[in-house]
Amino acid sequence: MSDALSGIRILDLTHEPGFLAGKVLGDLGADVVKVEPPEGDPARRRPPFWGGTADADRSLLWLALNTSKRGITLAVDRSRGRELLLALAERADVLLESEAPGSLQARGLGWETLHARNRRLVLCSLTPFGQTGPRAGWRGSDLTAVAASGNLYSTGDPDRAPVRCSLPVSYYHGGLEAAVGVVFALLARDTTGEGQHVDVALQAAMVMPSIGTAAMFKMTGQRGARVGAFMSAGRTVQREIWPCQDGFVSFALRGGPARVPGLIAMVAYMDEHGMASERLRAVDWKTYNHNLLTQAEVDALTREFGAFFATKTMAELYRAACERNLMLAPVNTAREIVASEQLAARQFLVEVDNPGRGRLRYPGAFAATSGQTVAIRRPAPRLGEHTVEILAELGLGERDVERLRAEGVV
Amino acid sequence: MSALFAGTTILEFGGGAAGPIATRYFADHGATVIRVESRRRPDFLRILRLTPTTPGGLDGSAHFAVLNVNKLSVALDLSRPEGVAVARRLALAADAVAENFAPGAMARWGLDYGSLVRDRPDLVMISTCLNGQTGPHRHYPGFGGQGSALAGFNHLTGWPDREPVGPFGTITDSLSPRYAALLLGAALLHRRRTGEGQHIDLSQVEAGIVCLAESILTYTANGEILTRMGNRSRHAAPHGVFRCADEAGRDRWVAVAVHDDEDWQRLVDVLGRPAWAVEPALATAAGRQERVGEVEARLEEWTRTETAAHVASRLQGAGIDAAPVEDFGDLHDDPQLAHRRHFRTVEHGVLGSHPAETHAIRFSAMEPQLDAPAPRLGEHTEYVLRELLGMGAEEIDRLRAAAVLE
Repeated sequence: MSDALSGIRILDLTHEPGFLAGKVLGDLGADVVKVEPPEGDPARRRPPFWGGTADADRSLLWLALNTSKRGITLAVDRSRGRELLLALAERADVLLESEAPGSLQARGLGWETLHARNRRLVLCSLTPFGQTGPRAGWRGSDLTAVAASGNLYSTGDPDRAPVRCSLPVSYYHGGLEAAVGVVFALLARDTTGEGQHVDVALQAAMVMPSIGTAAMFKMTGQRGARVGAFMSAGRTVQREIWPCQDGFVSFALRGGPARVPGLIAMVAYMDEHGMASERLRAVDWKTYNHNLLTQAEVDALTREFGAFFATKTMAELYRAACERNLMLAPVNTAREIVASEQLAARQFLVEVDNPGRGRLRYPGAFAATSGQTVAIRRPAPRLGEHTVEILAELGLGERDVERLRAEGVV
Repeated sequence: MSALFAGTTILEFGGGAAGPIATRYFADHGATVIRVESRRRPDFLRILRLTPTTPGGLDGSAHFAVLNVNKLSVALDLSRPEGVAVARRLALAADAVAENFAPGAMARWGLDYGSLVRDRPDLVMISTCLNGQTGPHRHYPGFGGQGSALAGFNHLTGWPDREPVGPFGTITDSLSPRYAALLLGAALLHRRRTGEGQHIDLSQVEAGIVCLAESILTYTANGEILTRMGNRSRHAAPHGVFRCADEAGRDRWVAVAVHDDEDWQRLVDVLGRPAWAVEPALATAAGRQERVGEVEARLEEWTRTETAAHVASRLQGAGIDAAPVEDFGDLHDDPQLAHRRHFRTVEHGVLGSHPAETHAIRFSAMEPQLDAPAPRLGEHTEYVLRELLGMGAEEIDRLRAAAVLE
């Protein structure tokens, strides 16, 4: 069977916030062409580098999120470069970009111009706050987008500042929404024959990750709070992240029909190791309700579970969790993820050959489908790797490209 | 144009957050999304905070309400063969089926892809669960909080000298619905072109790990494990969240990201060029990284005396990346979210008028619509059986009398 997006040509002008959008569309079979300035995208100059060698083709951020794309360099700020981009856009289905609002327009590449040249083109813009509105002109990045979304305020410890994930989760949420927007706009185009401008904002994309809590404010009055490795339940604060012998595990005292069997199994597991007290074994799970515990009861349970976890490794505890249906998960680092037998059984990690640099293990398909339509199609492009072959589609020969290179256009 | 998915029907099994958020992308653009629910085993969001005195009982959950607007609900007893038969007819009549039960649940009812596709060769179906439909850990019984830990987000969030915390809100439950919407949309596009359906197996953990590819490659290429670093950045300094003047007894903060040396000079100007800041050693990113603690403390001396809104707008006015840290209440006064109509009001039978949010995508030629509140459990059973299956009143009455319809 053919791929979901085969035959769709995407020009990807994005910087880091938009890398994932083009990558997932490429994994679905679209022909994604990364368009970079002649000196390369700034991400190419960012460490960490593969093997520690600072080189435009060895940045791990670049290599990680630009797979399934071809690459071309083009100085779109120069008139010849702009012309070539418009010529490429005439033959494309989608243009993805993450410049500040108005910036493409100022360069003669705004929505009206693109739409006039190609009525079927979808333009997708991913920005911190969106294309219009009182804060459209604000600068933004992951930290500030998450700050303005409500999510940051409730992340972290109560006695310290709100804290973000050290990798940019707003770029992932926003990039995926951009990809959804592109597919929806392509579906709409089938009916109308026309492309449209798709405007995705990182701030707005980070509101739903609080899973409805933001909308619920009008009913609950709760502005959010930081509880660190804990969570509030009823009138108590209960631990959620626990130290174990070699790291941390996630485990909750929460009950409910889906969770109580896991708590019972956990106590049985502890009992086999002689580490479940009389009192723990005597808990009546039929009437157990974590919302009704007193803090003293929570603290007593916490001491017992904590003492047990301290004697076990993350791997031991997760193995037991899978065998016994305990609702416990290791706080994985990349090391545990790469070693996971579940991921190995699903052949999730794949080797990607990066020509001239070697093979590297990657997270593979983001889904398994009955038609094998999701996969890494090719390694991230080297700087300017496909410039000649892509310009050839516009009728330019190698000699023309040489001239453009000498002029600094490619 | 009429709504993008007008005339498209998606049948939804399961509950919680990850499944229901995914189908909202379609519902908000006109799809008929029908939840198949059960009164005996209700969606856990309907019972999360349920007490004997909750107004509306199973229909009174605010959490369920804000996530499930624009949907219909059919209540069936799936422990009975007649109930399963109705669910099967609905699945075969729908354009797509989405489910997020534990692996194997749909198969026990004979409602898995393999069983359905025999009668509906072009079926599009997506199954999402924590670890995927195959593999030794497929039955692992975790919720979103465990997914976040397994995928690596918790380890990367928090302070380096303390336990990891994880981003608020079980992040795999917010990433996986976007992947699911993308995959379902692409599958519908593909079927329109080729007539072919497909089954999609989305592991929430795997999809999360794909986002964190930079961390995986840093390990597979260099053997280095990326870890949480508070709000600091490996590439920029200062890059942090700073305390501002309290307001109405609430702690207030501002996020500031100085991306390069030009940004730093702008910040020094805003601060009024104090002696500590004009030191040449701080003019470079490397110099600021070396003394980042001191730079952060100095900056906070200034932000402490001002409101977060004032600090953010002064810095933005100078071209510096900054934003107030908004809490869930602040979002309802946020001028940018208001401009984008991120929250819309719906009228709920039990909860009254309440806001719900739509996605973050705005199209030049179509608008997301929030038309209807979340359904009461079984609110649309008869309507759906009549409209989608063409079932007559007699058959509906018989099923109701037999308690197949709950």
